[in-house]
Amino acid sequence: MENTESPKRRIAFIVAIGFMFIVLLGRLIQLQFLYQDVYGKKSEENSIRQIARDPIRGYIYDRRGTLLVDNRPSYTVTITPSEFKEKTIPYLAQVLGVDTAFVHERLRKGRIYNRFAPMKVKRDIDFPTLSLIEENRDKLSGVDYQIETKRFYPTKAKATHLFGYTKEISDAQLQELGSEYRLGDLIGATGLEAAYEHNLRGQKGYEFLTVNAKGQLLGAYNEGKSDFLAKEGSDLILAIDADLQALAESLLADKRGAVVAIDPNNGGVLALVSKPDYDLAKFGSVTSPDVWNALLTDSTKPMFNRATMTRYPPGSTFKMVLAAAALQEEVISPNYRIQCNGAFHYGTRVFKDHIAHGSTDPIESIQRSCNVFYYTVMLKTGLERWTRYGEEFGFGQPTGIDILEETAGLLPSEEYFDRIYGKGRWTQGYLVSLAIGQGEVGVSPLQMACYAAALGTRGIWHQPHVVERIRDKESGQTVEVKTETRNIELSDRVWNIIHEGMYRCVNEPGGTALIAKVRGVKVAGKTGTAQNPHGKDHAWFIGYAPVEHPKIAICVLVENAGFGGVIAAPIASMCIEQYLYGELIRNNANQPIVAAKDEQKQVEADQE
Amino acid sequence: MDSWFKKNIDYTTVTVVLLLLIIGIASVYSATYDAGASVYFNRQLIWGGIGFLLMFSIMFIPFRTLQLMSYPLYGISIMILLIVLAAGKVVAGSRSWFGVAGFGLQPSEIVKVTTILALASYLSNRTVNLGRLKHIAVAFGIVIVPVVLILLQPDMGTAIIYIVMLVVILYWAGVSNFLLITLIAPVAAAIATLSGTTAFVIVLACTVLMLVLLRENRLFSALVFSGTVFMGASVQYIFGKLAPHQQKRILTFLNPDADPLGAGYNVIQSKIAIGSGGLFGKGYLLGTQTQLNFLPAQWTDFIYCVPSEEFGFVGAFAILSLLTILLIRGVQTASTVKSRYASIVAIGVVAAIAVHTVINIGMAMGIMPVIGVPLPFMSYGGSNLLTNMVMAGLLLNVYANRKEY
Repeated sequence: MENTESPKRRIAFIVAIGFMFIVLLGRLIQLQFLYQDVYGKKSEENSIRQIARDPIRGYIYDRRGTLLVDNRPSYTVTITPSEFKEKTIPYLAQVLGVDTAFVHERLRKGRIYNRFAPMKVKRDIDFPTLSLIEENRDKLSGVDYQIETKRFYPTKAKATHLFGYTKEISDAQLQELGSEYRLGDLIGATGLEAAYEHNLRGQKGYEFLTVNAKGQLLGAYNEGKSDFLAKEGSDLILAIDADLQALAESLLADKRGAVVAIDPNNGGVLALVSKPDYDLAKFGSVTSPDVWNALLTDSTKPMFNRATMTRYPPGSTFKMVLAAAALQEEVISPNYRIQCNGAFHYGTRVFKDHIAHGSTDPIESIQRSCNVFYYTVMLKTGLERWTRYGEEFGFGQPTGIDILEETAGLLPSEEYFDRIYGKGRWTQGYLVSLAIGQGEVGVSPLQMACYAAALGTRGIWHQPHVVERIRDKESGQTVEVKTETRNIELSDRVWNIIHEGMYRCVNEPGGTALIAKVRGVKVAGKTGTAQNPHGKDHAWFIGYAPVEHPKIAICVLVENAGFGGVIAAPIASMCIEQYLYGELIRNNANQPIVAAKDEQKQVEADQE
Repeated sequence: MDSWFKKNIDYTTVTVVLLLLIIGIASVYSATYDAGASVYFNRQLIWGGIGFLLMFSIMFIPFRTLQLMSYPLYGISIMILLIVLAAGKVVAGSRSWFGVAGFGLQPSEIVKVTTILALASYLSNRTVNLGRLKHIAVAFGIVIVPVVLILLQPDMGTAIIYIVMLVVILYWAGVSNFLLITLIAPVAAAIATLSGTTAFVIVLACTVLMLVLLRENRLFSALVFSGTVFMGASVQYIFGKLAPHQQKRILTFLNPDADPLGAGYNVIQSKIAIGSGGLFGKGYLLGTQTQLNFLPAQWTDFIYCVPSEEFGFVGAFAILSLLTILLIRGVQTASTVKSRYASIVAIGVVAAIAVHTVINIGMAMGIMPVIGVPLPFMSYGGSNLLTNMVMAGLLLNVYANRKEY
């Protein structure tokens, strides 16, 4: 061999092959040893699909175990992006009655999330639509439906603002809440559904399925042993009395206002009504834009929870705060009397009373709602004490009720006036209106019901709560909802005067709330009228019964109803009757209002 | 007779080829397994059987006959390529298939062998002087003709393999290192410039280093260097002028990770398959990547993933080692045979198998661009398998005739 193949070249070849071997081996070691965890995980994600199963939302019961909020099956149309064909969008949109742009958007979001997972497109479709989809399955590849639940309300109690509704989670909420939710999930938006979302929701279940590269399902992964079932949401057991709630709603029908009844012994909310309301069934799953717009533009604001959100001057119902302050601080004695001649002069201004009450002591001042008495006492007591006692009774601060929306109201203090008018630029004259609960003071019906309960129980103020107990479906265990309780320290002497005044107000001649009486039960109460510069005044009534050992405290607010004794007091009366007897026992339940002569007089009177 | 077999059969090569063949067929079985053996498995089994017989037949062809047949075979294969271009079937975008009696044939595979034979025949001619530019040009021409025809199909991967084979064979045949650098440096610079400035600078540095070490005429050295720089710069310039989608196609070719849903998809899935195999793998027929078809047509170009996933490092290492043993054995044969023709044939076969191995396994592990190149003896496909078996037969033939001139 004349040879060109020198040993040098042979060595070069062996080295080159060796080098090739080393490089490939190095890479192999890198992939199979160093990165094995990473790629092992990726390969699992590749071939195993996680299919989420929505849990059944918790049920809601009333205090006697009546089912108030139920679940019914509903059909939700889904598309699986990997199998779905874009050219079928116009047809699908037409079948579902939605915009093509909407389907495009859902498809886009679905692809981003996971193109093999079904994406919810439309909830709660009707049977004709469902059958249309069934018939056209071959045309609509990737389109399927899931059986979900929607809320159903089996009793007469609508409790719109109390129960609240669920809606599809928004992008912003998704960002905030993270992995527990995904696009298309329902989330509590208002009322108990929102406040107890965490309990009601339950926990999603997951099934693991093996798929091939095309995303076609091949069957259960690991024979289903890795799956975990959805965990049902917890049930709520409310303090609500469904019959009372339904009655209160019917009594307020065609009116604007609120009723809040609570159990003075523990703060449990027996009824919470705000009218006008709206139909929760229309919010069960999908709300049509028409319904939304109608509700949002309605001048009577049906979405607004008047029971907890509205803020009106309390009127004469607030007189007990001042009475308590003046008596407890010994500004006046129990025997203190004033001579009411129907008007009160402060500087150049004249504040009228409805009638000349003559000689009036503290008890009579409550019974007959004498304004002059309180004008006088307010100037003696001063703003600081009035504010302090107002705070004691829970005004000017949220009650801490377990539905999320409530107002703190407004309880003015010296700092408040200093801030609004400037230091030294407001006079004692500003206080005169506050004496009778008018002017710059605002309370909610809920605060008023708590106030009535505290009055009835001699100063035990319970944090109001709608939910009494939460029942875990898995363990079957029931947990009491914890609430706070505090005492308003007044001497018995003071309580006796207030109780006597409120009792007489309902039961004795000269009382302003005689039509609040209930047969066989001693009711105590107080009327009030909130001055309304924009129209007819708003009517208040607060009360509790039976006086010996109160079982119900109630507040009724009726907007633009004029004097509180005529409209609000009978509603309260019937509610008390319903709750204590379990039914209405009066003869003519449909026409309960027999206005007493005295009360008629008062109609104009309280309206100074 | 017995002793003839003992002396003249290269048992190492036979054993290695047989093992690779068995692993390959088992991998095809797994990759196409669907509640039973697939048609791919059955066909590969038949091709394997035919190939094994073919390998031994080639071994017994008299050495002279082979050398005499080199040019005619080359001529015939070029004509076949022309016919394919004119009348072939289009598969996966390439007009490289030839339908014969229900079987698809890919002539560009077997043309590799005829080109090696022709090249060996030419370079072993006593009148050929590798110092003369004219003769180098002829050697180039022998390779360029099929390359051009293959590029017209178009089949980038196969064309690249021919070029690499040519360079390796020329080196073995004794072309000066300086000429080799003159050939390689500009191509390397062109590819490097697209990968980034750093790569370009490294190539330039290597070129300078080689030129300095070789101590050739300074003027020529300077010319080669400027040619390299010019090549890199002009490729960069042309690249800048291309439309964005064309640029993207080229960049994806060089870096598949940049396009995870396109060309990059295969490499990502392939890396997952290999990486998730670990030390002992997921078990035969139990690889999720393989069994759930995450790699399209895995039984062809991505067959290496199958044993790597199902038998883990143990399987992947075994294949790599077998191929390396085969190559080193080939180099040994090439350097011990007396005939220059036989030596060049053997080294041509080594070059072809080595390039296929590096590109295929490198691609599967994500360190080589994705070019459709099969893994020798393992990838599914009759033409490829038969060509590999013919090449193995040539190695055996050369070994058996190692003492002849």
